[in-house]
Amino acid sequence: MKPESPETEAGSADGLIGDPSSLKPGDRVVYPNQGVCRVTGTDLQEIAGQKLELVRMVREEDGAAVLIPRAKVASVGLRRVASRSYIEGVFHYLAAQYTDPELDWKIRHRDNADRLVTGGVLGVAEVVKGLHSLSHIRPLPTKEREQYDSSRHLLVAEVSASLGVPPSVAEDYVDYALMPPAGVTFKLKPPPRPVELPVRFARRKPIAKAEEELGLDDLGLELGELGELGEGAAAEEGAEKGEEAAGAEGAEGEAGAETAEEPPARAVPPAKGKPSPKKAAPAPKKAARKPAARPGPKPARTAAKAAPKKAAPKKPAHKPAKKAARGGKK
Amino acid sequence: MIRIVTLAPYDETDLAWLGKTLYTAFGLGTELAGERKPPASAELAGGRTDAEKLVQAAGAPRVVADDKILFLSAADLALPPGPLGEPPAWGFAQQGGVRAVVSTRRLPARGATEASVENWRRRLARECIHFVGHLWELHHCYDPRCAMHPSWSPDLAPNPDAVLCNFCREKSERKIRLAKT
Ligand SMILES: [Zn+2]
Ligand SMILES: [Zn+2]
Repeated sequence: MKPESPETEAGSADGLIGDPSSLKPGDRVVYPNQGVCRVTGTDLQEIAGQKLELVRMVREEDGAAVLIPRAKVASVGLRRVASRSYIEGVFHYLAAQYTDPELDWKIRHRDNADRLVTGGVLGVAEVVKGLHSLSHIRPLPTKEREQYDSSRHLLVAEVSASLGVPPSVAEDYVDYALMPPAGVTFKLKPPPRPVELPVRFARRKPIAKAEEELGLDDLGLELGELGELGEGAAAEEGAEKGEEAAGAEGAEGEAGAETAEEPPARAVPPAKGKPSPKKAAPAPKKAARKPAARPGPKPARTAAKAAPKKAAPKKPAHKPAKKAARGGKK
Repeated sequence: MIRIVTLAPYDETDLAWLGKTLYTAFGLGTELAGERKPPASAELAGGRTDAEKLVQAAGAPRVVADDKILFLSAADLALPPGPLGEPPAWGFAQQGGVRAVVSTRRLPARGATEASVENWRRRLARECIHFVGHLWELHHCYDPRCAMHPSWSPDLAPNPDAVLCNFCREKSERKIRLAKT
């Protein structure tokens, strides 16, 4: 594994890829809510007389083939894997004293869904940390427990890719910061500024525009279908482990209460022939909603919260499944 | 099947107890696959052992299908230092993979009383569930009563139970079921 990741694009803290032509085979990118992918090339496909250029990628964790129409690269929020120095800043955020978690679940759901799509790796870290601190106040409801797990999965994957360490070590780093052992303190630097989200306000429009440009509406096509066509062709390439059932680790995108669960992008071997909808390009249609300030980290925060409000006594969320109906063989 | 390979001498009744607890946690049978020599290639200067290298290089029986290999070691395991330092390593697992190691070095003293031996065994089992859990793609859990809670957490009880919370148990069941089909 290469210890150094490509630097984020100049002038863009979150590494968003504005120009798809800058993508080269071998580039490591993050597809929001899907994970770390490696660009393998481009494909030209003709669909109902329309020529479409697709960026072809392989998801690193399971070899799933992922295809995105070039015109969609920006709107799905495709970005470079965060640089080592940026990731280090994220750890200073994780270890910093946290402001009180958002208690209004509606706002929380919406903000967290937004953060996962448009907030870069710091946005993912914000979701993990926010839900983590909420779990100290009360047990997370099922949906958010799943979101906690899937955002953890995304964070671990990106830290692992950026720092060139195995995922379980990356997760140890995350929790070493989140819940340091007794007696361990860190000299923290101001964490990076959360990614400002101007795209968030304007998002709906550009997506619609992109679709218009592609003429997809006229063709009656959803981009998901394109993905599938593409994947059929690309599946044998990297789908060794791809048959794993979709959705198993709950890496769904819009994990808010309002959305139904969608399977993450997985390559389905052609033999199975079971189409799972919206595989390649689930555009983050919900992303653009809220101009409200994110309760994200401010540079001053580290020191500012010296005396945190202890909101409630720690109460672990889940009852351990003690001797869970299993120990048959003694 | 979880195949337990020891890289140091351990008491057989301790290992039998561990096998039973792993069966309770994952519904998977265990097999004691004997003792091997720890790989020299994982040794670091200063007497520590590179956890990742140990797991890669240690000898183990051939695996079939969804087998997992769990090494028990007495070594002082080292991880590469992270942005905030080196987290204490109670073990190491190839996330979603086949091999994991648990070190008994950080466990409470085994002692000779019934209570101390029981505490030692329970903690060993807890750590083994944790790292085998990683092999089944489990992530860390915020519930300090769950074996997937980080091993060094200040929220952990002095003698934590060797069990998974409902969320982690159900996730592991899904992953195991998936591997079997
Ligand atoms: Zn762990
Ligand atoms: Zn758990």
